[in-house]
Amino acid sequence: MSLPEILALLAIGLTAGMLAGLLGVGGGIVMVPAMVLFIGFDQHVAQGTSLLVIIPAAALGSFTHHRHGRLALRDAAALAAGGVLGALLGSVIALSLDEELLQRLFAILILAVAFRMLLTQRAAPTPREPETT
Amino acid sequence: MAPTAPRPNPLLLAAIGLGAGVLSGLFGVGGGIVMVPAMVLLAAVAQHRASATSLAAIVPIALVGAFIFGRADSVDVPAAVVLTVGSLVGVQIGTRVMARMGADRLRIGFALFMIAIAISMLIT
Repeated sequence: MSLPEILALLAIGLTAGMLAGLLGVGGGIVMVPAMVLFIGFDQHVAQGTSLLVIIPAAALGSFTHHRHGRLALRDAAALAAGGVLGALLGSVIALSLDEELLQRLFAILILAVAFRMLLTQRAAPTPREPETT
Repeated sequence: MAPTAPRPNPLLLAAIGLGAGVLSGLFGVGGGIVMVPAMVLLAAVAQHRASATSLAAIVPIALVGAFIFGRADSVDVPAAVVLTVGSLVGVQIGTRVMARMGADRLRIGFALFMIAIAISMLIT
């Protein structure tokens, strides 16, 4: 890694972290396109790297919630049971897709998230609002 | 929140997790974007509890995704370390600023910025 690359990655991590703290989004959805557009990462590598970064961040966050008694471990286990299977499926599909197509699909995901943010009141989603998937 | 709130159906939660897991693996994101609103709307879980629970589920979900991508040589570990350092500092700043200001205007600005990013990804 060159020095400019390290500085760019630090800035991307800092921005993504700040947005996550501020808005509750900003992990992968910020890091992946930033790595692709500003550093020139391959879309697949950007996504795989983002997944690795998410692990310690989510672990640290859940530990804090757990200490404050806000974490329902049995519910998390049920989510994770389906989630692990889905992650396996999703990753295999992503790796089988052409980079350009994956990048376009990612752009659509960003649009969905952005419009959802525009239409939603913070912490008070309206029941009629469509799902982001 | 009363401590006696009914427990959401584990099968429903697993189905929500499945959908979020596919999204996570497919796009390299955590999946909270789907899990939190789905838990609130479909399983009647309180918002703050839904975010905490989804965050915990993201750990094994991202672990599996990172492992599969890693096997395909699609993880840049040094880059991940640098990103993590930056983001840990960023989260501290973000949460502290959050406590002092409303994020509404920022949220709208961020959404518009992301739309611009998406368009540039679509046309390149």
